Amino acid sequence: MADALTQLGFASWLSVLIASIIKVTLILVGGSVGMMFLTWYERRSISYMQDRRGPNRVGPQGLLQPISEAIKTMTKEDATPRDADKIVHFLAPVVMLGATVLSFAVIPWGRMFPVDLNAAVLFVIATGGLHSIGMMMAGWGSNNKFALLGGMRGVAQLISYEIPQVMAIIPVVLMTGSMSLQKIVEAQNDFAGLGWYVFSPVGLLGFALFFTASLAEGERTPFDIPEADSEIIAGYMTEYSGMKFAVFYLSNYMSNLAVCFVTATLYLGGGNGPGVDALGGIAGGLLSLVYFLLKSFALFFVMVLIRATVPRLRVDQLMSFAWKFLLPLVLVNILSASFWVALLRWDQQWPQLTEWFGAPSTADATNWGRLAIAIVLTLLINAGAVALIMRLTNRNVQKHLYTTDEELALGLS
Amino acid sequence: MTLSHLATEDVFVVERNDADFRAGQGMTKGLGIVFRKFRKALFGKPNSDRADTEGQFNVQYPEERLAMPEAYRNMPILLYDDATGHELCTSCFQCERICPPQVIHITQAKDPATGKPVPAAAKFVLEYDTCMSCGYCAEVCPFDAIKMDHDFELSTANHPELDVDYNRLLRPVSYYETIAPTMWSDVKEQAMKKLQNNIKRRPGDIGRDHGQKIKGGAPVAAAATPAAGAAPAAGAAKPRGPVAAIGKNMSEDKTAKLLAIRAANAAKRGGGAADAAPVAQAAPVAEAVAAAPAAASAAPTGPVAAIGQNMSEDKRAKLEAIRAAKRAERGE
Repeated sequence: MADALTQLGFASWLSVLIASIIKVTLILVGGSVGMMFLTWYERRSISYMQDRRGPNRVGPQGLLQPISEAIKTMTKEDATPRDADKIVHFLAPVVMLGATVLSFAVIPWGRMFPVDLNAAVLFVIATGGLHSIGMMMAGWGSNNKFALLGGMRGVAQLISYEIPQVMAIIPVVLMTGSMSLQKIVEAQNDFAGLGWYVFSPVGLLGFALFFTASLAEGERTPFDIPEADSEIIAGYMTEYSGMKFAVFYLSNYMSNLAVCFVTATLYLGGGNGPGVDALGGIAGGLLSLVYFLLKSFALFFVMVLIRATVPRLRVDQLMSFAWKFLLPLVLVNILSASFWVALLRWDQQWPQLTEWFGAPSTADATNWGRLAIAIVLTLLINAGAVALIMRLTNRNVQKHLYTTDEELALGLS
Repeated sequence: MTLSHLATEDVFVVERNDADFRAGQGMTKGLGIVFRKFRKALFGKPNSDRADTEGQFNVQYPEERLAMPEAYRNMPILLYDDATGHELCTSCFQCERICPPQVIHITQAKDPATGKPVPAAAKFVLEYDTCMSCGYCAEVCPFDAIKMDHDFELSTANHPELDVDYNRLLRPVSYYETIAPTMWSDVKEQAMKKLQNNIKRRPGDIGRDHGQKIKGGAPVAAAATPAAGAAPAAGAAKPRGPVAAIGKNMSEDKTAKLLAIRAANAAKRGGGAADAAPVAQAAPVAEAVAAAPAAASAAPTGPVAAIGQNMSEDKRAKLEAIRAAKRAERGE
């Protein structure tokens, strides 16, 4: 964009400045409007899951409801508790929103990349990690026991779930050979735009694990322990009202949107889809944007579906789920991703592979035999690991919940 | 839990059907159920079968409404006969007496010629804001004159409007027949019979001039339209009518004032035989209440109007009571 402006006769520094301002504006507007749409979308869809209709009065189908909500929160009193740490209390929502908006800098909209960072995946994870600081600031600065509890819970949860979340991305990075989101999207463009990672065994397990861990990162039900309203009022947001609360809300939904976008980019091929390359140019870009948004909102629908179905976990369940279930599976997934990459892409380091299996699989020459071996192998590893860990978990569950029929019949415990 | 003391055939094992569930399968099942609900609510037809558990049950309230059950009750209304315009109420005070929050206030109509009570109400005020919709008034009414309405959209920003007077309470019988047909048909015959009897004892327009009964009150629109609930609230509501009878639990002060007013009125009229009684009754009370020095210095005669404007109300009342009592004694 800067180059185009320079060609129009602007000075080079000015064109860079203008291009940056336009990009920043687009990111902010896109994020906020996306968040507004998301609140409406969540409320409407969860309403239908509960045999209701949801907000359908303000504007067509209630689409303008978020605007009236925004006006309402802006007119409310912005109260600060007397004994609060006022600076920290004020800065907490700023930190939260800032971290969220930062992550939007690298998230692609279809095939439009605001910034193509070569470590974009790391950047997204890092900005997501900033949330725990904002949460702790809010919890501490409010000088309220519920807020502090919420903040502590939030930090514990985020730190626990960042580990499986980051490690669930490693297979994607391995398979792509890059941390740039643009490269990751390009790598999923095989098979007429349908070579998404989610269609491989490694990607499928990685997708499930990453999405689950991201639910916890975004404080979505069943991992909404930091703001468990039936236990600790609103967690770290207890002492916030008016515009500051709205900023928290905005940041929450924007980070949920970011989670959907990132998941769609990493595993569902981003803006790739049939017909995008064929169209090309602006039309192809728009089609990729449509694909991308469809994928993201489908993911968000799954989030809402989970929220409508699953009750909140206890703190110990939360922790054991992260450490005893997600983490082993993530490690196994990294293992099978290594096999996948070794079989399909590792010929430079291990030339014998070419002798054994033929030419490597690339975009132009797909070796179906190799691909089949890789798929079968990773499928065996992943399915075996999932079955084993589920069986172990299941045994524990059954032991704790009720006595089995056999035990009853034998007169055992 | 040990069940070894039981024979194996005594053990009843509940078929949970999920013994083979792996972890996570239960959740998948639950997600499926919720998604099915979503699908049925979004694409299915509106479901009015209350026994069903799936579908869209919502009624979009201002546009769509559920039919009210006949026995639904919100606020009391009074009925009048469509044909003759006669009100069914005879001011028997049953409803006023039974009303738990005591929000019904009735004044009995009197024949202007003879001064005798007539089976009709002159004033009828009902405080909707304190009414608790118990329906006792409708249940106790021997003339089926007071009934419970179905209109529940009564919210207003004007609080005094909720002291509803006779004009705004009246609805034609035909209106009640539309909202509760079987309930009305059960009582219709006897109610109409009683009404005919009462009409015979109502001289002139008493009992059907409800549009003109209250000074400044707008004529009732309800008389013309059955949808009387929509009748506009004409102006500010009428202040509550004065308490007709001197209650036993009234404060002495109040009693004195009331007696004084009555006595003054009696004096103005020249002390008719009918009015002598309350005054005579009032005398001992007034004497007891009045302070001795005030009584001593009170002027024996002189018009009531002469009482100074700057006197306290209390004092003036006592004074008036004493004067009236004295006038009565002298037989003026």
